[in-house]
Amino acid sequence: MATVQFKKIVKRFGDNLVLNGVDVEIQDHEFVVIVGPSGCGKTTLLRMLAGLEEISDGEIFIDKLLVNELHPSKREIAMVFQDYALYPHMTVEENMNFALRLRKLPRAEIASRVAEASNILQLNKFLKRMPKQLSGGQRQRVAIGRAIVRKPKVFLFDEPLSNLDAKLREEMRVEIAKLYQRLNATILYVTHDQVEAMTLAGRIVIMNHGIVQQVGSPIEVYRKPVNLFVAGFIGSPTMNFVPGRLTVKDGTAIFSSEHLSLPVPAFVLPQKEALEGREVVLGIRPDDVLVERPGGEKCSGRIDGVLEVCELLGHRENLYLKVGGQRLLATVEAFFNRSPGSAVGLCFNYRNMHVFDKATERRISE
Amino acid sequence: MKTKMTAAAKRRLVKSVLLHAGLLLFAAGCVYPLLRILSVSLRPGDKLVSTDLSLIPAGATLLSYSKLLGDTMFLRWLWNSLLITLATSFIGVSLASTAAYAFSRFRFPGKKAGMILLLSSQMIPAGMLILPLFLMIMKLKLMNTYLGMIIAYSVSSLPFSIWILKGYYDTIPRSLEEAALVDGTSQVGAFWRIILPLSTPALSIAFLFNFTTAWNEYLVARVVLFSSKQYTWTLGLFELQGQYITQWGMFAAGSMLVTIPVLCVFLYSSKWLISGLTLGSVKG
Amino acid sequence: MNVLTSVAEVSWFILLVAAGVAALVGYLYSHFKFYARSWFFPVVLAVFPALALAVSGGLLGGYTLKLWLYFAVAEAVIAAFFRYAVKGRHTVPYLLLAPAFAGLALLLVYPFVFEIYLSFHDLKLTTIMMWKNTGELPFVGLDQFVKVFTTSPLSETTFWELLLRTLVWTFSNVFFHVLGGFILALMLNNQIRFKGLYRTLLVIPWAMPQVVAVLAMRGEFHFTNGFVNIAITKLIDKLPFLAALGLAPVQWLSDYPLLTCTLINIWLGIPFMMVVILGGLQSISSSYYDAADIDGASYFQKLRFITLPLVRPVMMPAVTLGTVWTFNNINVIYLVTGQAGGTEQADILVSALYKAAFTYNRYSYSAAFALVVFAMLFFFSVFYLKSFDAAKDER
Repeated sequence: MATVQFKKIVKRFGDNLVLNGVDVEIQDHEFVVIVGPSGCGKTTLLRMLAGLEEISDGEIFIDKLLVNELHPSKREIAMVFQDYALYPHMTVEENMNFALRLRKLPRAEIASRVAEASNILQLNKFLKRMPKQLSGGQRQRVAIGRAIVRKPKVFLFDEPLSNLDAKLREEMRVEIAKLYQRLNATILYVTHDQVEAMTLAGRIVIMNHGIVQQVGSPIEVYRKPVNLFVAGFIGSPTMNFVPGRLTVKDGTAIFSSEHLSLPVPAFVLPQKEALEGREVVLGIRPDDVLVERPGGEKCSGRIDGVLEVCELLGHRENLYLKVGGQRLLATVEAFFNRSPGSAVGLCFNYRNMHVFDKATERRISE
Repeated sequence: MKTKMTAAAKRRLVKSVLLHAGLLLFAAGCVYPLLRILSVSLRPGDKLVSTDLSLIPAGATLLSYSKLLGDTMFLRWLWNSLLITLATSFIGVSLASTAAYAFSRFRFPGKKAGMILLLSSQMIPAGMLILPLFLMIMKLKLMNTYLGMIIAYSVSSLPFSIWILKGYYDTIPRSLEEAALVDGTSQVGAFWRIILPLSTPALSIAFLFNFTTAWNEYLVARVVLFSSKQYTWTLGLFELQGQYITQWGMFAAGSMLVTIPVLCVFLYSSKWLISGLTLGSVKG
Repeated sequence: MNVLTSVAEVSWFILLVAAGVAALVGYLYSHFKFYARSWFFPVVLAVFPALALAVSGGLLGGYTLKLWLYFAVAEAVIAAFFRYAVKGRHTVPYLLLAPAFAGLALLLVYPFVFEIYLSFHDLKLTTIMMWKNTGELPFVGLDQFVKVFTTSPLSETTFWELLLRTLVWTFSNVFFHVLGGFILALMLNNQIRFKGLYRTLLVIPWAMPQVVAVLAMRGEFHFTNGFVNIAITKLIDKLPFLAALGLAPVQWLSDYPLLTCTLINIWLGIPFMMVVILGGLQSISSSYYDAADIDGASYFQKLRFITLPLVRPVMMPAVTLGTVWTFNNINVIYLVTGQAGGTEQADILVSALYKAAFTYNRYSYSAAFALVVFAMLFFFSVFYLKSFDAAKDER
């Protein structure tokens, strides 16, 4: 297994700057997920590591070895493609041992590696079948098997689950997590689905517009998003944003917008950031909007709102609220027995409140 | 409700009867000339010319066939045609398969100009290139030989083959080649091991197209070949059909013999042919 | 024995072609790969002209210093081009294209250029011996092009008559090909039994070797023995009043040769269009028709507003190609009317061109003629495809 380093990676397509100075280091045995909206350059980055895309500028190291000019097959990586890219004219077995045959490994070695991989992935029954005779999930497994048999230094996954339906996607997610525990490999996994990122990753790299926004563990990026983009991208349902302005009165900062105003205690926003008249955006996750519940001391005071729509999800319920003209989403325990249009009281949980500077979009709260 | 259902069913029945009647009529129009040749080829020598329209003539006989194979060099002509056609098709498809790959997968200066060259080559009138080719073949001292014919034919279907193959390659996802690259092939290796085996349908179409063009060619052969030993079947048959009405039966027999194998191959591959043609034109 | 030698001859030739391709690719590869090395110029200048001299000398039987000099200059230009312009970029696509385009250059572009050369000179029966002996031809400038428009390529029909005839021929053929193809495709695109069988039978005219198909159809138009006249005769026997209306057996081949050719060619060309249009029809998602049904569209409204527009993109390239092919179609006309003493009544531009060259031996004249025809087709296609592109952008 191996480490991977990206150093100041730049990618241009003509005049179009796709990646603008990406610096990421991946440790041995680490499961790193690169996540971002489509067009953010995440797949391009992965393909550059695989050697399928030319590197405009910067350096990529695998195990301290500069691989910029190396042919894909010499980089000792294996890749699972979004559309699986199974060779349609080969059986499952031939698909899996193609790379090994190309390297002219001894026949016994090839057979044992394929057997091992197909045991792990429960593909024994399908070895003689053609890819088009398999279901989506089985094809996915074959694609992973094809990667495993090569015993690569790094596994690359390019949105591997995006072609599966929701239920299968969940199953495969668990499979991949189990596989990681078993192989203990270095894995680089690209997805646009933040749920996959949160559940699978040891560390998440969040990208937007060709720039790395934040690198950190799932908990870190969820609890302490460094900017507005990360805050909005990670977490489902999406965080509520309330733009407004700060005033300082007697040493305490007060946030006020057109529709609501509340104090921002010092344990949320350090004194030095609480500047008079600063334009900020308040971020609060739907889980941290408490509706008709006593707040306790680490919560804001009561805010009056109106219930617009209820959405029952099963054990949880989404409440679409309106405070003045400001729309807010709250997620509460199921069976909130109020009819739409009724007035409700709510408060914000200060422990998980985020404050961002409106101009720089950077996090300024603790 | 019940009467309505039967009304709908009745309409469906009428529609299907009309459809079948129309299709049968057209199909008969397509097949009839072929059956007429068959009928003529089976007629006894004294009734070759008749106004009889029945398909199996009275006193049907295979005499025309035995005379054709025994008295003329028909087998030799068939063999000549086959050899020339196979060689040109092989050369044509090999050249087209790599060129189409370049057009399908790479961006390079001159790509558009190359495509336009291919397209405009279709507009060169038949007969325009025969004279220069004739002079060239004469200079190479290849008149009246197989090689002269192969040279003259080898690129005639190249533009169209490249066009069809490019259209097909365009539908093969690139990730397959990328997977092969990661697995350890070179770019050319990926083409050889992945793209070519996957393109068998399109390659067959290109081969078929090359084959039928060369197999049915008449005008160049007329100019290049002059001894009846070297004739292709088209020349030979045309000669048989010529002036003497007595040879009409042999002409028909020969026509049947060259048509049936080509027809079989064509019909067998017509499914691929259809998909290839529509792909080629949609993605062209 | 005969069989074996012929197979050996052809296989030997294929190997020769393969060797030529390998040599070409190797030659180009060395230029792509080593263009930047310091020894590039001296080595390629030493090696390749000498090799070329050896090969060409072996073929032509002469090793002259002059020839070597030509090769050396050519190699120097090529090497400089690779070093300063190509710089080793795009190696793979160019190497893949090289064999095919070398073939096209040799057997398509060179003959084409040669035709241009011919069209400005005067090669005919009286000058061909002089050309063979001295390699020179009288230069006549644009005379041949003037002659194309002023004199007749055949014995009686003029260029303008031929042009008109060609346009009528092309238009009527393509029109009926598309119409017939469309009707058949619509009929086949239903859920009916024996669909595969019908389709198979309907493509037979296309699948049959053209020489056989045309000659067979020609037989059907024979005055006494052809099906058409026999059918007319029998019809008159049954329904005598038709004869009073003027229906009678027709001298198809001598009285209406162009009509006969057109009928035969329509018969030949419908299957191709049918197949292309059927492919287009099958690619139309049925949900459009479901939506139109809900909107209350009639059969013809669906045809007009859904089928036609959606099949258009598939049909357009095929129609363009079909037009060009029909315009250039010489087989049918030559095979029907081309024998000794055949009529000129059915000749179109391209068949007149063939006859001018190979029956009347007016080589230069026919070269100029061919270029005029090519130019017309080329501008037609460019215009046609441009307007098609414009239509595509609008949507």
